[in-house]
Amino acid sequence: MALNHHLSCYRQDHHETVGENKEKRPKFFINDHADILIEILKRLDGRSLCIAASVCRLWCNIARSDSIWENMCFRHVSPPPSVRSVVLALGGYKRLYMGCVRPVRSRLGRARRASWARDEVQLSLSLFCVDYYERLGGSNSNGRLVGESLPSSLMFLCKPVNV
Amino acid sequence: MVLYDSTALAGNSSGSSSSSSSKPPPPPLQPQQQQEIDGLLAGAGYKVRSSELRKVAQRLERLETAMVNSPADFSQLASDTIHYNPSDLASWVDSLLSEFAQPPTCPSEFVMDPVTNQTVVNDAWTTTEPNMPQVHQNISYEQQSLNNQLTVVTAMEEDSGIRLVHMLMTCAECIQRGDFPLATSFLEDMQGLLTRVNTVCGIGKVAGHFIDALGRRIFQGIGGGSINGGSAYENEILYHHFYEACPYLKFAHFTANQAILEAFDGHDCVHVVDFNLMHGLQWPALIQALALRPGGPPLLRLTGIGPPSPDGRDSLREIGLRLAELARSVNVRFAFRGVAASRLEDVKPWMLEVNPKESVAVNSIMQLHRLLGSEPNRNSPVETVLSWIRSLNPKIMTVVEQEANHNQPGFLDRFTEALHYYSTMFDSLEACTVQPDKALAEIYIQREITNVVSCEGSARVERHEPLARWRTRLSGAGFRPLHLGSNAYKQASMLLTLFSAEGYSVEENDGCLTLGWHSRPLIAASAWQALSDAPAEFPAPDTHRPS
Repeated sequence: MALNHHLSCYRQDHHETVGENKEKRPKFFINDHADILIEILKRLDGRSLCIAASVCRLWCNIARSDSIWENMCFRHVSPPPSVRSVVLALGGYKRLYMGCVRPVRSRLGRARRASWARDEVQLSLSLFCVDYYERLGGSNSNGRLVGESLPSSLMFLCKPVNV
Repeated sequence: MVLYDSTALAGNSSGSSSSSSSKPPPPPLQPQQQQEIDGLLAGAGYKVRSSELRKVAQRLERLETAMVNSPADFSQLASDTIHYNPSDLASWVDSLLSEFAQPPTCPSEFVMDPVTNQTVVNDAWTTTEPNMPQVHQNISYEQQSLNNQLTVVTAMEEDSGIRLVHMLMTCAECIQRGDFPLATSFLEDMQGLLTRVNTVCGIGKVAGHFIDALGRRIFQGIGGGSINGGSAYENEILYHHFYEACPYLKFAHFTANQAILEAFDGHDCVHVVDFNLMHGLQWPALIQALALRPGGPPLLRLTGIGPPSPDGRDSLREIGLRLAELARSVNVRFAFRGVAASRLEDVKPWMLEVNPKESVAVNSIMQLHRLLGSEPNRNSPVETVLSWIRSLNPKIMTVVEQEANHNQPGFLDRFTEALHYYSTMFDSLEACTVQPDKALAEIYIQREITNVVSCEGSARVERHEPLARWRTRLSGAGFRPLHLGSNAYKQASMLLTLFSAEGYSVEENDGCLTLGWHSRPLIAASAWQALSDAPAEFPAPDTHRPS
């Protein structure tokens, strides 16, 4: 009898706490704090970031924003302040990362030295700029010998490494 | 020496040549070819024309190799083949050779077809796919002969490759001696040999181009024909694809840009003169680097020199507009001027409108060699151009040239050098997998080959000279070399690592950088500064920056 009483009291308490949980939000819910979420997502690598983008709409929006990709590009280097306007003008950080920084980093992976990080970024930026310039040309009818495939100076980065 | 009746000879040879199927129809018999038959062989019962002795001997060698490589077919030869009269040795050997060289019907898909039309890209492997099921049915029945025939094909291919090279050299030597009939017969032989060699890659492909070029020289003369008449528009397209397919031009652009960037450090008003604008692919990277330099970008003026465009299009202006748009996006003050000139020596310094207060950089990517004539230092255009460059007092002049000696007066030496150089370059191009860049890049290189081999005089513009000679020439014209520095070297090494092939190598050569394939340098980049005439009160600024 006492046990039943205890049990029912327990259940009541439990229900109350569960009820509390249902009515009140938990004390900390990450989606309420977008700024912290951004700080965390900023530090992920490319693959994890893409996985994170499929968690929910908020995460997806954040993962797609260019500022996250800025960190991916300049992870180990502190870029000069004028870089941002240049990169945004040339197509944005995500494009810079996916088109240039990532293939450059992976290609140089084996031969990389720590001191090359800044030069990698500079080279990526140069290649990115040439690519932007070629895209500018594609919109004008400069004419191509082969109809669809635009010569792109980044094509050599897209092809798999042939050792 | 016994002389046979010449009419009987003519009757004999025309009869035999119409029946042999492996050779292309021979050129009409010229009077000199109806020579006497070799007397010594005639004594042994064989009729061979003296002029053909060499050819017949080579073919006998080939026959011997083929027989040794496939003893299985030997017995078949003995019983099945219809033989021609063996006393007519030349056609007898030909008929036997055609038995051996018969491409096997089943594995014809395994042997790659020669690519005859260069502008159409045929991937030989993809065309074999639909045929594969048929081949498999026959394999079990003809496995043995198939293997034997493939061995013959492979052995003959390697052999043929070496023979092609020998024949190329011999043909070139004939041309140098002026013996055009013999050169023509070698040309036919080579064209015949080419059908048995894999021309999609390796020595077959390079040889094909050189054979074409020799043919042009023999039959069209040294005036250049239609190759140099390729429109400027076509040239730009080919150049662009050459830029994409291999790293030589990228190396040139990036290295020159690095040197120019370092030279312009601290200057607010800069002017770059580009001797060959093309699509202006070199300049976006420089504009971007200037935009990001500490202290902010300078005012950049670019003067692009290029050939005049026909049909009213102003291609120079279009490129200038594109570059201006890019400069505007990255907030670099930019001004462009186009100078249309079909030859570099037609440009006069006043056309460039150089402001005395600005710092000038002159950029020449594979243009200076076009100014060289055959006579060294005899008022050749290069002297004139170098002197007006000097009068501009440029902060830096970047010079990139092919690292080869293709301006030698003797044809055979030039031919040999070109054969080695372009074989190496084609080797490096094998690594490129991006089509159609690769095919068009090959056409671009082929045009260079044709110019080096088949043109003379003013038509020959590809007068490449090695770095050592440029050094002498530029030093003599009043320039001093600037070291390219470790930043340029680092950047070049990184750029190469990005390319998929592992054969490229960057080397430093006394302040200059060379890019090569497997330790054969193919392109050399150097930087120069004009020596001032007056003794300097202050030492010239050293633009070599320690990293």
